[in-house]
Amino acid sequence: MEGTTNVYSLTPLPGSSLFSLPEPQHNSLTNGVKLVEIDLPEAPVVCLDLWCCAGSAWESREESGLAHFLEHMVFKGSAKLESGQFDLHVEALGGNSNAATGFDDVHYHVLIPPEASADALELLLDLVLQPRLDPQDFAMERQVVLEELAQSEDQPEEVAFQELLRQACGNHAYGLPILGRRDALEAHRPEQMAAFHQRRYRSDRCCLAIAGPLAGLHLQPMLNASPLGRLQPSESTASLEPLQLKAGSTRLELPRLEAARLLMAWQLPGAADQDQVMGGDLLTTLLAEGRRSRLVERLRERLRLVESIDLDLNVLEAGCLVLLEAVCEAEHLPAVKREVHQVLLELQDTAPTESELLRARRLVGNGYRFSLEVAGSVAAMVGNSALWGRQHNLEQPLTWLEQWDATRLTQDLIPLLHPERAFTLEAVPA
Amino acid sequence: MNVAISPAVAVRELILPGGCPLHLVERHGPAILSAKLWMRGGSSADAAGARGSAQLLAGVLSRGCGTLSGDALADLVEGCGAGLRCEAAEDGTLISLKCASSDAETLLPLLLQMVNAPWLVDDQIALERQLNLQTLQRQKEDPFQLAHDQLRGLLYGHGPYGHDPLGVDEELCHVQRSHLQTVASQLGGSGAVMVLAGRIPEQVEEMLLKDNAGLQTHTPIRQAGPSGTDGSAFASAEDDTEQLVLMLGATTTPLGTPQALALRLLHCHLGVGMSSRLFVALREEHGLAYDVGVHHPARLGDAPFVFHLSSSSERAAEAMQQLLTEWQRLLEQPISQSDLDLALAKFRGQEALGRQTSSQIADRHALVLGHGLPFDFADRCLEQAKQLTPQDLQQAAQQLLKQPSLSLCGPASAIKAAEAVWQTSFFSR
Repeated sequence: MEGTTNVYSLTPLPGSSLFSLPEPQHNSLTNGVKLVEIDLPEAPVVCLDLWCCAGSAWESREESGLAHFLEHMVFKGSAKLESGQFDLHVEALGGNSNAATGFDDVHYHVLIPPEASADALELLLDLVLQPRLDPQDFAMERQVVLEELAQSEDQPEEVAFQELLRQACGNHAYGLPILGRRDALEAHRPEQMAAFHQRRYRSDRCCLAIAGPLAGLHLQPMLNASPLGRLQPSESTASLEPLQLKAGSTRLELPRLEAARLLMAWQLPGAADQDQVMGGDLLTTLLAEGRRSRLVERLRERLRLVESIDLDLNVLEAGCLVLLEAVCEAEHLPAVKREVHQVLLELQDTAPTESELLRARRLVGNGYRFSLEVAGSVAAMVGNSALWGRQHNLEQPLTWLEQWDATRLTQDLIPLLHPERAFTLEAVPA
Repeated sequence: MNVAISPAVAVRELILPGGCPLHLVERHGPAILSAKLWMRGGSSADAAGARGSAQLLAGVLSRGCGTLSGDALADLVEGCGAGLRCEAAEDGTLISLKCASSDAETLLPLLLQMVNAPWLVDDQIALERQLNLQTLQRQKEDPFQLAHDQLRGLLYGHGPYGHDPLGVDEELCHVQRSHLQTVASQLGGSGAVMVLAGRIPEQVEEMLLKDNAGLQTHTPIRQAGPSGTDGSAFASAEDDTEQLVLMLGATTTPLGTPQALALRLLHCHLGVGMSSRLFVALREEHGLAYDVGVHHPARLGDAPFVFHLSSSSERAAEAMQQLLTEWQRLLEQPISQSDLDLALAKFRGQEALGRQTSSQIADRHALVLGHGLPFDFADRCLEQAKQLTPQDLQQAAQQLLKQPSLSLCGPASAIKAAEAVWQTSFFSR
């Protein structure tokens, strides 16, 4: 343990004075669509990132899987663009595009040379907001989505996580698979998808983020006359049902599993409270990031009960989910569970030390700063925030982070990670 | 118009005492520093009967060195919020550090200390070995991993590339400290290179050399790496899955050989992006797969070139047929000029997008320098690629891809259906 006490004094926290973070510019179109631009003069590409509050949580029961299926169908062409034409155009310029569907939202992003960004933006808006949804393409893409589902079902670890969420989240949308139920996918019709698109892709639910070398681009003027500027506001103000994770436990025997898993889920405050999110990030890092974190040190390094132990904070609007995964031999499961409980109970009683906090704060702070090196992740960060009405700049999360101390963690967050508040799933090889 | 490749602000080259070349790539932007120390060797240099030694050693290097115990080292690195990784790949062992530039003075000395003065404590070796054995076991849950391991056996047999860098369980469990000491003493003996990218501190050399006298090594030289086995072969593994995983692959050529560039362009044509040939043919036109692509890592020896996809069992025969058709097309007809232009744009785009962070930049330069290639190798390739014709690509395919091997993993019925298609194919004759 030599060298442990004086390390921190040698290395001051990297403050904002070392380099200043770029400043996001928030605007909105006349119909209310949010626009956020962030100039990154050194970046080789511009990232265009279109966000919409249209994740799987907004589906009705019959619409299961439709949000994600729609994300696939978007790339099959629009009124103006043939299937595949968009990808070809972007990739012929050395750029690339992709999309991702979550519980809360979906986003479509393009990396493109700055000179081509105006063209790419026009095409992207046409593609996402005026999808063709051709019946033949629909039938073909359904096969692809079913293959995606089959591929994930062949990974027993994913099956275990899905089951954890299903039981922990009860009837909440976060307990349902984003890919959808097979029977629902097989029954979907293009008209249903068009209705979902029409209902969810509205001006008050969309946000466009642009990050990269923006000098001289002037992308904003074209937007009001674009399909984005023509979107209508939504007719109803549906909101997400708050998550109410229930405590409990279950055991699952899974074929093809080679190592047992202990999975646990807890609920933390939702993404709207970014201050709490930073606290959650700090706490999960303190507990399970690095060899000197409490859980890794105890379960992997000292007792050698696990191959790995991870604790991830999933930032979600209706309530964040903290998910623990320990990988171990089946015969060690009871001991692993006991020790995880022990670590969490000790945390309830004894506040984190100053050196633990410094370590975790620097890991979170640096991880955040490192992620800002790439235009794509900057666009995603500011785009997602703006979509949900959060307009803080890039510096603000670091300020929140600095303000978390042992007292606040002990009062606000540590009680929420009590073992009794968790839903626990033990998965063993069948 | 194309994605611009951002030039490095300034590059300096030094030689550290003992002979290790040090390249410093100064960049504007955030005060972040990435350092890579690449030492030739890796899992392909594992001794017979001790496969997995290089990776085991790599894992133990950060578990105590110089005056620091494993705990003290972890405290130091994690206390700075830094990342320090040490991993063996097929051709080399790589130590990676990423930190705030202001922590360079604290952390840079670790790089050479880890190599020169590792503690190699028995207890920590036992832990790391147990973790690697558990990982090897757990990986078998993944049907892609099973198909990939099986294909590696077909392509490289018991040769240096024939095993997972993590090792072979029945050999790894016997690797002892004395052997690791021998392997550790050879680190750098076949050449090494260090690359730093980002905001480079003043007196960087002094920092690297604190408490050690440099690394006894030399600039990595050009030298042929391991080769593959000859001929087409087939293997299958039954697994109770919904999908069948298909991998069709051949061993090809080292990075930097004349045909490697043609192959890289074929890789871009076939497997990069949603407009790529395999994506369009198998996913867009036939809906046969979600994930389909090409695996073609850079290697010092004969690199694998692999088509991979997974498809529902009932469509196994169709997927097999389509995969074979796409492979055979490469041999029989040149791609069009417009497809070549598209592949070139993707190649260039990948280069540019792969140089966005300090880590990516350091990593790419360390890799090519470790292969004994020049610092600006990637830029030269971008120039040379413009000269290639569709015929050049076809010739490379005809020479290097003529005898692919097939690995299947999935339900018995699907294997049977796909194997029947394979048996009647051009390649199995």
